[in-house]
Amino acid sequence: MTIRSSRLTAPACVSARIVERELLAPDIVSVWLRAGRIAETIKPGQFVQIQIPDSRRDVSGAMRSTCPEPFLRRPLSIAQQRGNRIRLVFRVIGQGTARLAASRPGEEWNLLGPLGRPAPALRNRDVILVGGGIGIPPLLFLAERIAGANRVLALLGARNRPDLILRSEFRALRTKLALATDDGSLGRKGLVTDNLQSVVCNLQSELPPVVFACGPRPMLKRVKELTPGIESYAFWEERMGCGTGICYGCAVKRAGSNSYIRFCQEGPVLRLSEIEI
Amino acid sequence: MKLAVRIADVTFPNPILLASGTFGFGLEFPDVVRRLGGIVSKGITRKPRAGNPPPRIWETPGGIINSVGLENPGVDEFVKSILPALRFGRARVLVNVAGDTVDEYAEIIRRIDSDLVAGFELNVSCPNVRQGGIAFGQNPKLVARIVSAARRRTRKLLVTKLTANFVDPVLTARAAADEGSDAVSLINTLLALAFDAQGRPALGARTGGLSGPAIKPFALYCVQRVAQAIRIPVIGGGGIISGADVREFLNAGARLVQIGSVNLVDPYAGIRILEEFRAQLAE
Repeated sequence: MTIRSSRLTAPACVSARIVERELLAPDIVSVWLRAGRIAETIKPGQFVQIQIPDSRRDVSGAMRSTCPEPFLRRPLSIAQQRGNRIRLVFRVIGQGTARLAASRPGEEWNLLGPLGRPAPALRNRDVILVGGGIGIPPLLFLAERIAGANRVLALLGARNRPDLILRSEFRALRTKLALATDDGSLGRKGLVTDNLQSVVCNLQSELPPVVFACGPRPMLKRVKELTPGIESYAFWEERMGCGTGICYGCAVKRAGSNSYIRFCQEGPVLRLSEIEI
Repeated sequence: MKLAVRIADVTFPNPILLASGTFGFGLEFPDVVRRLGGIVSKGITRKPRAGNPPPRIWETPGGIINSVGLENPGVDEFVKSILPALRFGRARVLVNVAGDTVDEYAEIIRRIDSDLVAGFELNVSCPNVRQGGIAFGQNPKLVARIVSAARRRTRKLLVTKLTANFVDPVLTARAAADEGSDAVSLINTLLALAFDAQGRPALGARTGGLSGPAIKPFALYCVQRVAQAIRIPVIGGGGIISGADVREFLNAGARLVQIGSVNLVDPYAGIRILEEFRAQLAE
């Protein structure tokens, strides 16, 4: 077990104003926030913890003496960053995300971040991104940062056309793009990993590609199966306590051992070969 | 204004401690630790412990249930690679000690011989381990044996962390005091069970311990009950999220408090709570 702090600086607690809010699908929300220091320092792979706003009190900071409800913050990854703004894209899955979805421009959220370790920096590599459903947003942030210095192929998949979000943003990057939907309403009918299988079967370049995947657990499992010997990473998602490494509440089984990875600290970007799915 | 609190030979700069298991070893946020009275480290066992399978955290109204299961590198690795880093100025470090057997408590303490450590908190109240933990803390005779063995090993501050689960903590507090414990802390977490939306146990370990504001009234009750019954100091905790909560625990008879779950919501909460408490005293 390694005990160390991987962050260069302590995370900031920032009161971030919502400047834009949009529904991308019936249950998928996109929010642009003015997030100051967090926006200026956050890197792909890192995330923020959001205090669920409560209409009963001032949300202008971390100063709070009443019991937050829901109690814990909600971890969200970054979809895009421009100057002092960040974009968060999330699906409404419970009472916390429902409250977040109800927020409107002008309201403020208390953000803690940047948290977690950034994805490894790359140069002059073939990079394959595999995004499933609500796993797509953090790969967009990564793609925007690495597209200039690498050759990026984005494989995106979702249940259906409306759920296949952020397509135009990926197109704007002029990276290669292959789409798949479960119902065939857009792109290949099938799974995003079917496209990955076609790609890895036809690999020719001398230097193998690097794979980054974010999506549901079965998708990550399949990516792991399809990429033996390839440097492949998961943007892991899991129920989290603190997000800052102090509670040991988020644990991912380390492959081939009886120990766990504190993934808010060592991750959330983890080598697929290191974890048991 | 005097905020410092002295227990046995140890002076805490202020009455706010970070509770064991809710702030790691303090190394992620050393500047927070430095401002407070001190930190109680994550529980240390004799051998390394992987901890419980995930999920380890479940949210409930006004709190959380956890079943981390004392994940820690074991006492030898702790002494080698963590202990030397535990320098937080005037803030005091207590090491939380969790044995599988009575003898292990004394053995762990024997191996941690460092001036960086002000004392030890004997964990006889963890709900998330199969051996020891809460089973010890429900039996005053076992508490007495553990405290007695630990007392023989160290002259440093000795705190016994008690449970209020299915035992009257007055009985175990008396046992601890009689064997030389310098203070008791309570109430740790309350045994808890939760199911997910599909009706399965929500935690990988099936059961866990409830903490957070939901347990505060019960914690206050226990603190007052124990403080009125014994002479050694009581360290109180359970759901503290504000300076006003700190004052309530002190009013109930606690000399020091521990803050826990709130650290998960805001790692800087300790500083805010101290400032709120200080402002209240000034009123």
